[in-house]
Amino acid sequence: MGTLGAIAGFELRTRLKRMSTWVYFAVFFAAAMLWTAAAGGAIQSANIVFGSGKIWINSPYAISQTVAFLGMFGLTVMGALAGRAVQQDFEHRTEAFFFTAPIAKWQLLGGRYVGALLVLVLVFASMALGVFGGTLLPNLDPERLGPTRLGAYVIPYFTVLLPNLVWIGGLFFCAAALSRRMLPVYLGSVILLVGYLASQGLLRDIDNKLLASMIDPFGVVATARVTEYWSIAERNTRLVPFEGYLLWNRLLWIGVGALVMAFCLYRFRFAYPADRARKDRGAADEAAPAPAARLAALRVEPGRVRALALLPRMAWLYLRDIVRNVYFGVFALAGVLFLIATSTTLGSIYGTATWPVTYQMVELTSGTFAVFMLVIITFYAGELVWREREHRFDQITDALPVPTWLPLFAKLLALMVVPVILECVLLLCGVAIQTAKGYHRYEIGLYLHDLFGIELVSYWLVCVLAIAVQSTVTHKYLGHFIMIAYYLAIAFATPLGLEHNLYKYGATIGYTYSDMNGYGHFMPRLRAFQAYYASWALLFAVVAYLFWTRGTVPGWRARLVQARARLTMPVVATAIVALGLMGSFGGWIFYNTNVLNPYVTAYDREQRQADYEKQYKALENAPEPTITGVALAVDIFPFEQRVRMHGHFDLVNRNAAAIRDVHLFFAQGDNVVVHQLAFDIPAQLTKDDPRIGVRSYRLDREMAAGAIGRLDFDVEVPTHGFTNSGSNTTVVYNGTFVNGLFALPVIGYSDRGELATDRDRRKFGLAPKERMRPREDPVGLQHNYISHDADFVTFTAEVTTDADQWAIAPGYLQREWIEGGRHHFVYAMDSPILNFYAFQSARYAVRRDRWNDVAIEVDYQPGHEYNLDRMIAATRASLDYYSRNFGPYQHHQFRIVEFPRYATFAQAFPNTIPFSEGIGFIARVRENDKDDIDYPYYVTAHEAAHQWWAHQVIGGDVQGSTLLSETLAQYSALMVMKQKYGEAKMQKFLAYELDRYLIGRAGEQKKELPLGRVENQDYIHYRKGSLVMYAMADYIGEENVNHALHALIEKYAFKGPPYPNATALIDALREVTPPQYKYVIDDWFESITLYDNRATSATARKLADGRYEVTVDVVANKRKADELGKETDVPLDDWIDIGVLDAAGVPLYREKKHITAEKTTFNVTVAGTPARAGIDPLNILIDRRPKDNTVAVDIK
Amino acid sequence: MALTLDIRGLSKTYPNGVRALSDVTLTIPTGMFGLLGPNGAGKSTLMRTLATLQDADAGTATLGDIDVLRDKDAVRRRLGYLPQDFGVYPKVSAEDLLDHLARLKGLSRRSERRDTVAALLKQVNLYDVRRKALGGFSGGMRQRFGIAQALLGNPQLIIVDEPTAGLDPEERVRFHNLLAEIGANVIVILSTHIVSDVSDLCSSMAIIHRGRVLLAGDPGVFTRALKGQIWQKTIGHEELEAARATLPVISTRLMAGRNLVNVVANVPPGPGFVPVEPTLEDVYFAAIGGRLSASADVDTAVPA
Repeated sequence: MGTLGAIAGFELRTRLKRMSTWVYFAVFFAAAMLWTAAAGGAIQSANIVFGSGKIWINSPYAISQTVAFLGMFGLTVMGALAGRAVQQDFEHRTEAFFFTAPIAKWQLLGGRYVGALLVLVLVFASMALGVFGGTLLPNLDPERLGPTRLGAYVIPYFTVLLPNLVWIGGLFFCAAALSRRMLPVYLGSVILLVGYLASQGLLRDIDNKLLASMIDPFGVVATARVTEYWSIAERNTRLVPFEGYLLWNRLLWIGVGALVMAFCLYRFRFAYPADRARKDRGAADEAAPAPAARLAALRVEPGRVRALALLPRMAWLYLRDIVRNVYFGVFALAGVLFLIATSTTLGSIYGTATWPVTYQMVELTSGTFAVFMLVIITFYAGELVWREREHRFDQITDALPVPTWLPLFAKLLALMVVPVILECVLLLCGVAIQTAKGYHRYEIGLYLHDLFGIELVSYWLVCVLAIAVQSTVTHKYLGHFIMIAYYLAIAFATPLGLEHNLYKYGATIGYTYSDMNGYGHFMPRLRAFQAYYASWALLFAVVAYLFWTRGTVPGWRARLVQARARLTMPVVATAIVALGLMGSFGGWIFYNTNVLNPYVTAYDREQRQADYEKQYKALENAPEPTITGVALAVDIFPFEQRVRMHGHFDLVNRNAAAIRDVHLFFAQGDNVVVHQLAFDIPAQLTKDDPRIGVRSYRLDREMAAGAIGRLDFDVEVPTHGFTNSGSNTTVVYNGTFVNGLFALPVIGYSDRGELATDRDRRKFGLAPKERMRPREDPVGLQHNYISHDADFVTFTAEVTTDADQWAIAPGYLQREWIEGGRHHFVYAMDSPILNFYAFQSARYAVRRDRWNDVAIEVDYQPGHEYNLDRMIAATRASLDYYSRNFGPYQHHQFRIVEFPRYATFAQAFPNTIPFSEGIGFIARVRENDKDDIDYPYYVTAHEAAHQWWAHQVIGGDVQGSTLLSETLAQYSALMVMKQKYGEAKMQKFLAYELDRYLIGRAGEQKKELPLGRVENQDYIHYRKGSLVMYAMADYIGEENVNHALHALIEKYAFKGPPYPNATALIDALREVTPPQYKYVIDDWFESITLYDNRATSATARKLADGRYEVTVDVVANKRKADELGKETDVPLDDWIDIGVLDAAGVPLYREKKHITAEKTTFNVTVAGTPARAGIDPLNILIDRRPKDNTVAVDIK
Repeated sequence: MALTLDIRGLSKTYPNGVRALSDVTLTIPTGMFGLLGPNGAGKSTLMRTLATLQDADAGTATLGDIDVLRDKDAVRRRLGYLPQDFGVYPKVSAEDLLDHLARLKGLSRRSERRDTVAALLKQVNLYDVRRKALGGFSGGMRQRFGIAQALLGNPQLIIVDEPTAGLDPEERVRFHNLLAEIGANVIVILSTHIVSDVSDLCSSMAIIHRGRVLLAGDPGVFTRALKGQIWQKTIGHEELEAARATLPVISTRLMAGRNLVNVVANVPPGPGFVPVEPTLEDVYFAAIGGRLSASADVDTAVPA
């Protein structure tokens, strides 16, 4: 033991004296500090959130996340330190000293391992210190800081980091000890890193939570799983417990580490490996002494070396060296395997897959494989540049009559061929995966364009940089370090507020491929930046040449002298050309991003919102006209990405007071070009604030109460060039989807334009605000929550677009014709609609059908025929169910119109449903798969329901109004789905909804609210809403719920102000609820109620008549939570299902029992073999841990 | 009773089929023992096997009563090994690394270690640079460090493998002096292809070639045995081939541009040949060239 200690001590001492150790320490310290500071708001423009703006940055949860996340990037450091501890003897060739000393294997290996571990613990301690340092910085948002607790800093070390260091360190140690090389260590770190990324993909399918938690070697996923349902209060105060998934994960991986070390100990030998021994040159000695060559005759006059011709040959030699290396094959193979693993969850929603269309494959490869590619490029750049020097061959090669640029460019060329090869591999993989999934529309052209035309260029840029870096630095590992720092800088620049791409060499310039719009307008920007970066690359190449090491060149001064000597005419000319190109392309880009368009950062946008509120809030209650009629002429110019809207609004003054001033707000701000704006009463423009988009007019004569008026307008939103980030995805070459509000003004001040989150408001000195008016607020009930400036309006529109496109607007098509190269359409509505409309234009294919007298139409992109029948079937079933149970459908047409995947939602406009390419058209619902959920069907049913819930009954601008629209749409869709697919499928769907509700509440930015007061929070009105309404149907009966909904329609459809609020629905439901269940109304709609029910045991015995008597013990717990998640226990006086299920999950028995005690036992008799039994077996109630509601039945 | 290293029938064949050692049998007494042979003869293989770094396929080796091949730990306690090809930790000082190695060799008491390390560094003349990082040492200094670590812990068996290759003449002399200072009762095996190292230092030797021991014993005896049998002539470049073909040439050398040919024979081998004093080099070349057994008077110790 003493010897082990001595060896460990020596290792520790020598490492601590190395500067690299302290550099690692400093880097992690700085990273943690910066990260914490940014999350805490110290950096104005940064945007890092730990799931919620309310979680303290030094809470146990947040620190745990930070340490785990940064620890992942420390993987390379772990490899460097742990692997080198044992590999250094082979590298420095000192192994003989140690192998011949009287020490045992375990002493040497153990000592080195312990030494390395101590160093790692020290280096990674920098992270906690960095977080702590971050909390001490000035400028922090005080709301983000909680009390400093030692436990919060120390616990993540023991639960997450230390086990990671022990086992990952062990793994790298073993790899380095047995292979005696560092390469397996690098390989391992990449594979581990990507393994983590892959497990993220598996998480999308909920069933794999356990698997995902266990295969995650860092314990990050397991930690997230243990805390995923914690509320905000819990995340701020509770220490992350060492239990459940986390404990098992840690034990598993420590066990793996122990096994690995044991293996290492077993296989390690204090010996020379056989292949290192000198080979006997006896064979050569056998030959007769060769006659001395007549050197005089062989003297060849060396001609000028034809360098250019040699270039391909040399490059080929270098390339061969890389590719033939077995490790290269393993690297590539690992990447491919991860690709395949991730592809299994490709694009799935609710666990249901999509067709593996080519753009998905391409996006998959660029995502998953990118890390491997970068590692390979970085690593091999180092290997190539340092090759001769490492083999001690450089003095020979440097003295050859070969121009200096030749080896440089040969190596660069070889390196650049590597990504070409790998892209080919990826293409083959992609095609293979598509074939394996039964999809044959390969679109090879798309593969080629994306993989080679776009991605390859990015990788080539990295190649040049890597070679230039390795050429300039004095140490290979320093070069690697610089490259990693570069990757991190690019990755984290934007969240830290550095947004402009002009200074981010090699940054990914955003683009999205859509089957509808192809690459669309993204290409010019992409190409401009690629050309710009390429000119940088040219400059880097020049720098690489100037500083290329040839011969022995000690010190920097000498290198500068040598560089100056290399500045010959061609070199200078190249540099000048590079600078010139950089200037031209950079100038062109700058002109587009900063001159043609204002350069707007995320911070700027927020500032604009803050200024809107600060300057115009006073106008909130000023009397404004209300719109009663809309007549529009919309001109869409797809290829110019320009839209022009002109026409008029019919106005009326619904206020008691007269109106003198009218205020208009344009959402697109200074992007809007106003050609004309005139009221029927002459008016003066009193304020024109284009930055915020406000225009104020003072009427020459006042508009009396009750008077009618008119506003004529002609506005346009053009697109000029391109911007640094983001783009106009509304009006595109094919697949335009433009909302009226894109160009048209809103009348009056709208609090929709204000900053919403408390954190953002604090940043600009605004007090926190309530998200919505209280439910009973009479002012709020005067307007619906869709638009503040209109109730129901009449609508006509004339739309023009390109000759070969078809335009769609709300309304029935009256006429269409082509004139002057433009396609004209006239649409008119026959009944009033909400002031909510959009226009679409594309080259569609059409599928038509009917339901009664309703014309059903699906306008889609040719090629996306997969789910049309499904959508139409859903439409028919929905229209049928809803008109039978709620009320008549108010239109005579129903259109589903596809739009590009730039946004992934579907939206319900009057009789028109724009439906994103990405969420239903390429879904692949496998009928026989019991796990697949038919989400195209579901989404269609949901959007159809909105024709009733929103377009007939609409809530006021108060809390809880989305209960009437979104929640009821969810309910409606669920009932339609249940009709087709049965209860069992609904269970799976509801399980997802429950999971997402619980996760959603943990990510709450402000406060959770009961369903009846929901403030537009998705996780409540969609997820909780589904669960609650489904439970209502279960408890009081579907017919009764529908009865209540029918009553709602009768009372409120198409009625203007005062609008109904959630109470309308709640009261209607209460009326149809039997007395013993009335408590659920309050529990589910007016409070936040959570159960923690579980079954503890279930036994059964077979009776004489073949039936079974089942005894089941259950525990029930009911809690109510406040807004931040603090829970209190509530006494039980509830009716909860007690059930027995058979092996297929079908209930043999299910009945609601009155439960008043925490622990109860029930006896039931069932016909059929019981498999599981418990409380609330179908998870109808909201439960924190749904899976423990039933247990397996023990049949005696 | 003096310590001996008894090697019997040691054989080793590498996986690629190369027979590195073929039935090597040697008895090595205390003092300087020279193992002579060309590159690839199997010297390093033998050295590594004795230094417990490699296993043999067959045979035994005993150091006193220690089974060298099996009882590796016991050997290591008494071993000092200077490998042919070694490096150093570049960023560690000479003193620190030597101290660490001393600790591993079993010198657990710090004061004892400190004294030993200082003494050794002085002995190899590295004391002045003891605090400097080893990365900055020249080839000769590195070699001296190597010898210092080999001498740690008063070893009884010291193996030095090709120690003077790459040293300049002055360093070589210094190195020889170092070795000569090593006390009695220590077995020092000096493995080399430089004949003068052996002739300068060693009281016993063996010549090994293609894995076989060609002869072993007292160098002086072998040299004297060749007395009167070495003939030398200066010939021109063109006659070299012919000479090689027709005569038992053991070595050729260039002197001031002319070829000097040495031949082993009982009688004058031809006109122009003069007898010269045999040197160990002649013994070596003759043995390697397979010419020794031709001469009946030579005491060949072991059958080849």
